[in-house]
Amino acid sequence: MKNAKILVVDDEENIRLLFKEELEEEGFDVDLASNGLEALDKLKKGRFDLVVLDIKMPGMDGIQALNEIKNANKDQPVVLCSAYGEFKQDLSSWVSDGYVVKSADTRELKQTIKNILGL
Amino acid sequence: MNPVDLLGKIIEISHSNIELSSRITSILNIISRDMNAEEAIIYTFDKDRRLSCRYANQKSVLFKILNQYRCHVGEGVVGSVAQKRSPLFFTKRDIPPRFGCLFYPDLDGRIENYKLFAFLPLADDSYLYGVLALCAVSRDTLHDADKVFLSILSREVGGILRSYELILSSKKRISELATLTELGKMLTSNAEPRELLKNIALVIAKSLNATFVTIMLGYPFLKLDAQRFTYGIIEPSVQDHVEELEGAATRLLRAVSIKDCAPDEYEDSFKYTLFSAPIASKNRVLGTLTICAEKTGQSYALGEDGQYLISTIANYISSGLENTLLNTRLRDAVRELNDAQKRLIEQEKFRSLGEMTASIAHEIKNPLVIIGGFTKRLARQVDIDRTENKYIRIILNEVTRLESILNEVLNYVKETPLVAETCNINDYLDEILYLLTSDSSWEEIEISRSYNQGLSLVACDSQQLKQVLINIFINAHEAMHGRGTITIQTKQAAYENGSFVAISISDTGGGIDPAIIDNIFNPFFTTKERGTGLGLAISNKIIMNHKGHIDVENVAGKGVTFIIYLPVKNHTTKEELL
Ligand SMILES: Nc1ncnc2c1ncn2[C@@H]1O[C@H](COP(=O)(O)OP(=O)(O)OP(=O)(O)O)[C@@H](O)[C@H]1O
Ligand SMILES: [Mg+2]
Ligand SMILES: [Mg+2]
Repeated sequence: MKNAKILVVDDEENIRLLFKEELEEEGFDVDLASNGLEALDKLKKGRFDLVVLDIKMPGMDGIQALNEIKNANKDQPVVLCSAYGEFKQDLSSWVSDGYVVKSADTRELKQTIKNILGL
Repeated sequence: MNPVDLLGKIIEISHSNIELSSRITSILNIISRDMNAEEAIIYTFDKDRRLSCRYANQKSVLFKILNQYRCHVGEGVVGSVAQKRSPLFFTKRDIPPRFGCLFYPDLDGRIENYKLFAFLPLADDSYLYGVLALCAVSRDTLHDADKVFLSILSREVGGILRSYELILSSKKRISELATLTELGKMLTSNAEPRELLKNIALVIAKSLNATFVTIMLGYPFLKLDAQRFTYGIIEPSVQDHVEELEGAATRLLRAVSIKDCAPDEYEDSFKYTLFSAPIASKNRVLGTLTICAEKTGQSYALGEDGQYLISTIANYISSGLENTLLNTRLRDAVRELNDAQKRLIEQEKFRSLGEMTASIAHEIKNPLVIIGGFTKRLARQVDIDRTENKYIRIILNEVTRLESILNEVLNYVKETPLVAETCNINDYLDEILYLLTSDSSWEEIEISRSYNQGLSLVACDSQQLKQVLINIFINAHEAMHGRGTITIQTKQAAYENGSFVAISISDTGGGIDPAIIDNIFNPFFTTKERGTGLGLAISNKIIMNHKGHIDVENVAGKGVTFIIYLPVKNHTTKEELL
């Protein structure tokens, strides 16, 4: 099967780098965006199997971006990945497909992505 | 002695400092000798406005007979002189037969000896003080000059009696004023109502020389449970009359005496005199003030004036009580306001602190994820046996630890919603204590419980409340280093803003240094090497979320009492105390 394409959106360069290397190791094609607007732009131009979205970002934050993405394409899978653990509880009010608390241990993130993609 | 010298002598005596009755007796002696009258007698008014024979010259023989009777104004010769305020003279020629014997039967047979009688009113321009009577054996006529002289004399004696009466009444007035001043001071003081009423009873009793003074509050006043405040002892035989009088005073809204209630018995069989006055404010009777004094001879310790005084005092008390009530309410309101303000500041402080903590934690989290994430990648590429690998493990362990601390902090900061259930605090305490004390480190801690068995139910989140109680118990355990007594008490507590269940937990751990006591509820404040300082901060927040509050009573050197107030389920707010 062709590699799944993942867009990682985070304002921290080193987080982007970490996730890129970790996910590529799992065999994903990874593209990067540093804020919500850039992510929307990339999604307009190309197709992604899944978006990993940070919440706290300057410019357009993750929650806003999530709404825009889902408005444009409600079937676009999105996983929220943030340092805020407490947003997890409000998951139902949002429309993301998964929520992962940002951690040095990336196993949960990888597993969540695989589950959503049915891998 | 010539009349001028005589008058001079009398004036000299009347202005002297000798005691009143000896002054009058000396004057009567002089009159008797100088006027050649064997009897010189003065009638004055007693408390009932009846004339009675009070003073006489030393050699008087009639005095002993005359002073056994009293007469009304208008009755008999003495009474009619008093009524008309003009003198009467009887000389040998016009003395009626058996003169005076109608009123004084014992005089029969004696009166014939006397050849001259003179009766003079002792009066000034406005007031009558008594009657002067002269009886002579050895002379039978009075010259006009004598009559003029006698009328001057009687004015002088009247003057003495008058100034004496003035002194007496001003003395009395002064002592009344002193009493009222003292009461006034008391009533405007901030004394606790119960103490205040006891003191009032005492002051009144002392100043009126009363057998007892009793204040009855019939109104559910000032949350006082005891309704009667008494100084002295109410004899059982008087008890009924006291209640009867109190009833009458309340009904009639004026001062009443035992005369009004039992007029027949009053005269003879009563050893006491009783007065009762309503303590009323704006026509609402709050209670009664009742005073009992012993009867002394024929006069009464409390006359009309006393009754007036009692009504005045009762008025004082009612306005004083109103004041106290207002004061109490004001104090409660101010205290509540202060509390609310303090809580608000606390919440505000907490919220901003929480926000700050959250953002700091968030800022730390990203670099931590980066450090940890790349270290992990590094670990996968490094040979298992190399020392670098050991270091990498250490870094990773520390990252994991930091991450979990951050998660805890972030969790603490966010609001946890309450899951309220109805809860019996006594049972709940027992449950928690059972869990705690089953640990061996609690072996040397004595638990003393005193529960209010009728404790109201509270609505609370039992998981969160458990956290609070355990925090406080563990703090106590830590303060006592595992040895001492924890005393747990539950009770009802009523405030103006509703009723609460109070859980008080005292330890014998030496208390808190007063210098730091204001900080103990602050997040991260701790004096312990291994404490996080979140115990009380979280507890306080949880109880505040329950619309309750935590009080601390600290006895430095002894121990601390933490009191948790939780609102009673469905409590109704009492708008008004009355
Ligand atoms: N019963 C007590 N006797 C004496 N001091 C007390 C008592 N309870 C609390 N304190 C003081 O208040 C401080 C704060 O208490 P708190 O429970 O908030 O934190 P802690 O016990 O230090 O740490 P933690 O509960 O997080 O382990 C304590 O460090 C201690 O100095
Ligand atoms: Mg971010
Ligand atoms: Mg503690």
